[in-house]
Amino acid sequence: MDFNLTRQQEMLRDAVHEFADAELAPRALELDEKGEFPFDIVKRTAEMGLVGIMTPKEYDGTEMGHLARMIAIEEISRVYPPLGFFFQTGHLGHWSLQTYGTEEQKKKYLPPLCRGEMVICDAITEPSGGSDPTTTQTTAELAGNEFIINGRKVYITLAGVADLACVLAKTDDKFNEILVEKGTPGFEITRREHLAGFRTTPVNEVAFTNCRVPKSNLIGQEGKGLGIGLSAISVIGRTGVAGIGLGIARGCYEAALKFAKERQLYGKPIGELQAIQFALVDMNVEIEATKWLSYYAAWQIDQGKGIREIGVDIARAKLLGCDLANKVAPKAVQIMGGYGLSEEYHVVRRLRDALHLFPAAGTQEIMKVTIGRSIMA
Amino acid sequence: MAVDIIVCIKQVPNPEHFSKISLDPVTKTINREGIPVITNPWDKNALEEGLRIRERFSGKVVVLSMGPPQTRKSLEEALAMGADEAFLLCDRAFAAADTLATAYTLARGIQKIGHFDLVLCGNETVDSGTGQVGPQIAQFLSITCVTNVKEITFQEERKLIVKRALESGHMKVKVELPALLAVGQEINKPRLITAFGIMQAAEREPRVWGCEDIGAERDSIGGEGSPTRVLETLEHRPKRKGKIMTGSPEEMVKKAIERLREMGGLI
Repeated sequence: MDFNLTRQQEMLRDAVHEFADAELAPRALELDEKGEFPFDIVKRTAEMGLVGIMTPKEYDGTEMGHLARMIAIEEISRVYPPLGFFFQTGHLGHWSLQTYGTEEQKKKYLPPLCRGEMVICDAITEPSGGSDPTTTQTTAELAGNEFIINGRKVYITLAGVADLACVLAKTDDKFNEILVEKGTPGFEITRREHLAGFRTTPVNEVAFTNCRVPKSNLIGQEGKGLGIGLSAISVIGRTGVAGIGLGIARGCYEAALKFAKERQLYGKPIGELQAIQFALVDMNVEIEATKWLSYYAAWQIDQGKGIREIGVDIARAKLLGCDLANKVAPKAVQIMGGYGLSEEYHVVRRLRDALHLFPAAGTQEIMKVTIGRSIMA
Repeated sequence: MAVDIIVCIKQVPNPEHFSKISLDPVTKTINREGIPVITNPWDKNALEEGLRIRERFSGKVVVLSMGPPQTRKSLEEALAMGADEAFLLCDRAFAAADTLATAYTLARGIQKIGHFDLVLCGNETVDSGTGQVGPQIAQFLSITCVTNVKEITFQEERKLIVKRALESGHMKVKVELPALLAVGQEINKPRLITAFGIMQAAEREPRVWGCEDIGAERDSIGGEGSPTRVLETLEHRPKRKGKIMTGSPEEMVKKAIERLREMGGLI
């Protein structure tokens, strides 16, 4: 058993850590306040090879793999979680394209995506709910060499800034994943949701009205769209949430630890009071436990294991990563008292972001359904 | 115009963990066990400057270090930052070297690498801060040396104007290559390592040379070759103690002034 990260993964961790502290931390408050998508930062991370971290080199990626991706998302989210969410969501489309796309689609879209010149979103969830995509109402009628798409999607992260959407739609009784470029007549980005956290990662509704796209925009085989969409959500979305959860938890823990070492009460730092110290110990232990469980899930993807084999490991990572962030962030606020609620101390914004992890990439309950099915089989 | 550059780097304890460093009462040396290490920040400035010169002209940037096997990490990082090659001088015989023996060993390493136009290094290190190794290397190589460098400008082939920082102001020096320049931290902001750099560096391994490889004289290296003897190491323990005044702001200021007068701090 080898728990060592590779030298490349270690170097990546240090590099992204340094980048986040130097370039994200000073801007976090201002970014959150403005709520605008940080195109310049995305471009910068693309130049660092992070946007294309799991994409093959031939398409301008760095091909460092899924564990490296999780580490990068963790280090970014330790400082600025909305950027981690950009990676979590944007990579859904990257992965679907690189795994199931035609050579023509890969050559056309992956290089600009990796260079940060293009953004992609995944449009799956509908007003009927996200947990059961078999209820998808959006249709893609096949008419000659074109699909005609009609329907509405909700809670589509990045739709507001995306140049390209990966859309799940039904053709007769079969599901297809279809690429729709921004500006295609009949494809409309409608209202932006005003949500608690992830303020710089826009979430919008999108509508399709007789939106015609070439049949060659189909991703993967005809009728396999549901499997492609769900695999992306598991392999990319859930591991991404685990990384963000770890990052949020570490950021909050580090802030609370620093505070507990400095804040004096009864003539000594509050960290010397066992009530505070034990809370910090719990955070520390839970972060370590979740880290290794999550790394194991991502490492298995790098080992080439299939979704059927490791879907449960990934579900465990999402379940724990989300829970971890939502336990540690409020606890950090508690340790820091009123300061914990002050934006200046950077904990309360992470708490807002942590709440988004509950529904992201499948609810906690859906994770339990997945794990439950496995243990009862 | 091609400029071949050798950058000397050192791995040092991370200053963020200096509070955990202890002194060994027997060997009189610093006990560094368990202290995380980094590349000396000044040396990263030297590497950055080397990379910028290479980007402007052409040539190679070769990184050189002397140290235990774990120094490899710093060399791998230098490769990921963009260095073309890296060499580690690693041998038990090099251990316990003072600045003179270190400079001799590095100079032998530079001679073994072969051709160079410019040697760059950090002006000092965060752990010992003597600032001696750079000038001593230059002496061993019989080349020009400028310390405290804050700006390097190429005038014409092999001729530079080098701005060096003084306590107040700066001095401009005309330098002809080959030369050794020891740089300060204000010279530039080192670039961050990228995933692209990491993956490119994965294909290049640092090469390791021992005492025989560089043809070093045994009596000039390591502890044996070091004329410096550490007789005593003392821990600095601040004896100053804060005093908190109480009362209204006016009372507290009055008390503080009285106390300062008592101590002779106010006339």
